[in-house]
Amino acid sequence: MDLSVLERVKWLQQQQMVSPEFFEILGSDGREELKRVESYLGNNNDEWQSFRHYETIDGCISRTSSFQMEQVKNNEENRATALQHKRKIEGKTEKIENKKNKKIKTEDETESSMKGKSNMSNSETSSEIQKRDYIHVRARRGEATDRHSLAERARREKLSKKMKCLQDIVPGCNKVTGKAGMLDEIINYVQSLQQQVEFLSMKLSVLNPELEYHINELSTKQFQACFTDLPEAVSKQSMMVDASSFPLQHQESLDYSVINSIQTTTLGSKDQTPSGWEIHSQSLYNNLRTDSDSSFFSLK
Amino acid sequence: MASAYNPIYTDVPEKDVFALHFLQTLSNLRTQNSFSSPDNKTSDRVKKIKKAAYVSMARAAGGTNRLWSRSLLHQAAKRNNKNVRFLRRKRRVTWLMRRRSNRGDPIEDVAAERLRNLVPGGGGMETSKLMEETAHYIKCLSMQVKVMQCLVDGLSPK
Repeated sequence: MDLSVLERVKWLQQQQMVSPEFFEILGSDGREELKRVESYLGNNNDEWQSFRHYETIDGCISRTSSFQMEQVKNNEENRATALQHKRKIEGKTEKIENKKNKKIKTEDETESSMKGKSNMSNSETSSEIQKRDYIHVRARRGEATDRHSLAERARREKLSKKMKCLQDIVPGCNKVTGKAGMLDEIINYVQSLQQQVEFLSMKLSVLNPELEYHINELSTKQFQACFTDLPEAVSKQSMMVDASSFPLQHQESLDYSVINSIQTTTLGSKDQTPSGWEIHSQSLYNNLRTDSDSSFFSLK
Repeated sequence: MASAYNPIYTDVPEKDVFALHFLQTLSNLRTQNSFSSPDNKTSDRVKKIKKAAYVSMARAAGGTNRLWSRSLLHQAAKRNNKNVRFLRRKRRVTWLMRRRSNRGDPIEDVAAERLRNLVPGGGGMETSKLMEETAHYIKCLSMQVKVMQCLVDGLSPK
């Protein structure tokens, strides 16, 4: 067993994937651990716990060529020391991947992590566990396992994940299947949204023919129309005195001076209107009027 | 919005943020226009409003944190003859385009090109990044449309 492993190691070295230190590291300890790996492959669950030791092994050949897409929630150490690079690894036991997937995953992780460590310049620091973000790709049975196709597959899966997110946003995307159809739907949606913006801006220009968006002339009603989406709690009567409950929830986009001036104008407002809305719109008016010269208006 | 599992960060501020920005940009337009000729053509007005809408949307959606909003703001600032650091972006674009041309599905590339023309700043992005930006862009666009619709409804005579 060891001989075949050594042969593979030599092959890998020819591929210039394994540093020359590798052989030194593959001492007697490494071979023992290798035997444990082999026995694991032969048996099943009992060697589960032996994986914990694997991070100290510096030399091991992975028999499978799998890199996972999602992180396995098993041994945290294995996960932390997993690889980021994708390499060409000859897989003899690919059929085992299809069975008992979970265990194989960790085993692959450990094996590939060990390979990765052997390739790192400081292999002595393998015991250091660093949390990194890895792109895990799983090679399925019968698929090519070379580097480029793995990378290509990872990229494609990333893309499909994002397309799924887009599917949730764009209405009517569920009926169409396939990338091309979905992309067409998305493109149509974006175009329709942009056309809507243009149409509405035309309407606005018609409604206000002299481009008089002077704040004093905008009625309270318009402001209320814009801000009708706010929660009901905002429009209570108590808002009149409660200056701190400014409705904007994402205040990081506002200048803080704006908020302060709004609070002061709310307190000083003499309106006797019953609804809290009008108070707020009045304060917004004042604020916008007073701030018309500030740099807040300039295009940043 | 429903809280679906979305690994990509596509949160968008509430509607009132967009509304506030839009109104401020419009009032800014008015102060700018007081020096120009009063009898503008309709198309010019429309263009100004449209530009104001996009700029305010870009600012409300996150300013320069997002690629598309950043490129929108740059385009707008360029038209106003403001100083814009364009050079760096251009270099990045060419490098990315060279990288992109090496790989890519022929099926998705055609549609991706169209999408790139639609989404601002899409020329310098990889396809996966483009998808993220598109998602955020769509959310912001729909929010902006809602705001404008409300405004139009409020202004229209009843």
